[in-house]
Amino acid sequence: MLGQIKKLYKNTLFRLSLLGALLFVVSMFVSLGYIYFATISSELRRVDKSIIAEIQGLQDIYDSEGLLAVNREVILRMASNEGLYYLKSRTGLSGNLEPADVDQSGIELFGIVPDEGGTPFRLIRFTYSVPDSEAIDLRDRRVRALAGFLKYDEKDKIEILVGRDVEATMRTSDRIMSAIITSSIFALILGLISSWFVSRRFTSRIEDFNRLATDVRSGHLDRRAPRNFSEDELDLLAEHLNAMLDHINRLMSAMRYAGDSIAHDLRSPLTRLRTRLESAAVDVKNEQASDALFSAAEDAGQLLKTFDSVLRIARLEAGERREMLVELDPKPILDDLVELYEPACEDVGLTFSSELKKKTAVRADRGLVSQAVSNLVENAIKYTPEGGHIHLRLELNKSGRVEIAITDNGPGIPKAERQRVKERFVRLDKSRSAPGSGLGLALVDAVADLHRAQFVLDDGMASEFGPGLSARLVFPKLRQGQSKNKAKLIPAQ
Amino acid sequence: MRILVVEDDEIAAEYVRKGLMEAGHVVDLAPDGDLGLEMARAADYDALILDRMMPKMDGIEVLESLRGDGDNTPVLILSALGEVDQKVEGLRAGGDDYLAKPYSFTELLARVEAIGRRSDPTAAVTKLKVGELEMDLLARTVKRDEQSILLQPREFRLLECLMRNANQVVTRTMLLEKVWDYHFDPQTNVIDVHISRLRGKIDKDFDVPMLHTVRGAGYRLQA
Repeated sequence: MLGQIKKLYKNTLFRLSLLGALLFVVSMFVSLGYIYFATISSELRRVDKSIIAEIQGLQDIYDSEGLLAVNREVILRMASNEGLYYLKSRTGLSGNLEPADVDQSGIELFGIVPDEGGTPFRLIRFTYSVPDSEAIDLRDRRVRALAGFLKYDEKDKIEILVGRDVEATMRTSDRIMSAIITSSIFALILGLISSWFVSRRFTSRIEDFNRLATDVRSGHLDRRAPRNFSEDELDLLAEHLNAMLDHINRLMSAMRYAGDSIAHDLRSPLTRLRTRLESAAVDVKNEQASDALFSAAEDAGQLLKTFDSVLRIARLEAGERREMLVELDPKPILDDLVELYEPACEDVGLTFSSELKKKTAVRADRGLVSQAVSNLVENAIKYTPEGGHIHLRLELNKSGRVEIAITDNGPGIPKAERQRVKERFVRLDKSRSAPGSGLGLALVDAVADLHRAQFVLDDGMASEFGPGLSARLVFPKLRQGQSKNKAKLIPAQ
Repeated sequence: MRILVVEDDEIAAEYVRKGLMEAGHVVDLAPDGDLGLEMARAADYDALILDRMMPKMDGIEVLESLRGDGDNTPVLILSALGEVDQKVEGLRAGGDDYLAKPYSFTELLARVEAIGRRSDPTAAVTKLKVGELEMDLLARTVKRDEQSILLQPREFRLLECLMRNANQVVTRTMLLEKVWDYHFDPQTNVIDVHISRLRGKIDKDFDVPMLHTVRGAGYRLQA
C-alpha cells in the first residue's frame, strides 16, 4: 500500500494535478475566509461601537446627574432594547445580569484597576446562561461587553457593565467556519481523486510507450505503439514513434538482408574453393605445397563457419524454431557440456567447476541451449588466463526463475561494452588478435531471445586478472498447463 | 564401393564424383529424383548420396519410395537446410546419415564410407574387434592384447564409434554428432583433447599406435 502511494507520488502527472487541486483548495480557503471576516467581524465591530457609545452616554449622565439618574437610565434601556446591563455600587445592584452570571464567566470583571489617567473601561467577552425557551436546560449565550467603573476612588466604587448578546451572530460565524472547513476537506478529497484519475488515464498510455521502448531496446523491433486514432497529442506521438520504428526496421532489415544474402551467396563458391584446395592438397607430392594448401582450405572452412553462424543467427532471429521448444530439465545438457569441456580446460591450465541444481524445468531446445552454453564456456576458456577458474552453475534465482551462469575470473568486459558485444561482428579491441568471428555472443543472444530468456553480462569473480565475467541465461517461468500440453504435441526424436 | 549420386547441381555433382573416384569408388550420377530412383532400383549400389532439394522429386520422396520397396541401401542425405529438425525429418524417412551444405569433401567421403561399409544394421553386434583391440558392448569392457583398459563412459562411446568405423576417417563433426549428439562445431579443440586422453589409454603402453590423426580431416583407428 505504502509502496503504491510512493509509486503514485513519483508519477509526474499525479503530482501536477495534485498541486493544481491543492492550489484550488488554498484559494478557496482564502476567499471564503475573506467573506467570513467581511461579514462576521464587521458585525461585531458594529456591536462594539454601539456598546462604547452607550457607556460613554452613561458616563456623561453620571457625571452630570449622578448615580440615581444612571440607574434610572439603565432600567429604562433594559426595557427598551436588548442590551445587557449590570450596575453595582455601595448602595445597591441593578441590571439584567446576575453577579453569578458575570462570575460564572470566570473573569474577574471588576478586579480591574484603572490606570493612572487611563480609561477605566475594558472590552471583554464572556458567556452567561439563560433558560432556553424551547429546551428545559440552560443554554450558554455569548456576550460582548464593556465593563469598568463609573467612579473609582477610596470611598466609592461604581461598577458598570454594558453588553450585547451576540449569540446569534456567533452561531452564524460558527456555521460559516465549519462550512469553510468542510468544503475545503471535500475539495481536497475530490482533488486527490481527480488527480489520481487523470494521472491513471494518462499514465496507462505513457506506460504503453515505456513498454514499447523497453521491448524495442531488448531487440523486438516489430513492436508498435497502440493507437486510438483520436489524433490527440499522445496518439500523434504514437504515430510518429511507429513511423520512426518502421523506418529503423526497414534500415536494419535491409542491412541484415544484405549481410545474409552475401553470406548465403558466397557459400557455394567458398565450398567449391575449399573442396578444390583439399583435393589439391592431397594430390600434390610436394609437402610444403600440401601444407600451404591445407591451411588455405582450413581458412576457407573458417569463413564458411562464419557465414554459417550468420545464417544460423538470422534463422534464430526469425523465430522459426520457437515451436520446437519443449519442457526439459537443463541439468543433463549441462552435465554433458561439463564432461566435454573439463579436459579442454585442464589442458590449458584452467580449473573448471560446476554446481548444477537437480530437477528444474525450462522450455528449451537441447541443441540450442548446448550451443549457447558451449559458446559461453569457450569464450571463458579463450579469455581467461592460465591458472584461472571457470564455474558453471544451474540454479533457481530469487524470483524462482531458472538461471544458467558461466562465471570466470578473467579480465571481464567493461560495463559500457556489455550491450555492444552481443551484436554481430562486434569484437573488443583486446580480443581482435584472438581467433574468432565476433558471432559467439550474438548467437547466444539470439538463442536467449528465441527462448524468451534474458542474457545478462556482469562482473564475475574478481582476481588478479580483472573483475571476471559472469554470463547468465535467465529463463522465463513456465506457464502452468500451456507448456505441458505443448510438450506432448511434439513427438520424441 | 559403387555409389549413386543424385544431385541437380552439376558442378557440385561433378566435384563429388571426381573426389569419390579418386578415393577408389565407382560413381554414377543422376541429375534429378526421377532418374535417381529409376537408377537406384535398376542397379545394386553400396551407397546413395541424395540431395534433399531437387526438381521433380525431392530427396525425401526418393528415399521414401526406395524404403517402401524394401530397399535398404545406405543413404546419405545432402541438404542446404542445416537445421536439426530438417535432419530429423531426413533420418526418420529412412536416411542413414545427413550432411548439411556446405560440407567439406573429406566430411562427405568419411560419412559415405561409414554408412557404406556398415555391416547389416539389423544384426545385433555385441563384440567389436579391431586388430588387438576388443570391445564387449554388453559387459562394457575393452581389452587390448588381453590387457584390460578402463574407460570413462564417454571414452567408451568414443572408442566404439571409432571401432565401428575402423580403418576409415572419422571427422570431428561426426564424432560430435554421434558421441555427444551435438550439431554445432565448437571453436576450440575439445574433441582433440578427448581423443588425446583416449589415445593415452589405448596406445600409451603399446609399441604400435592404433589411433591416428588424419591431417585436415579427422581420426582413424587402424588395426
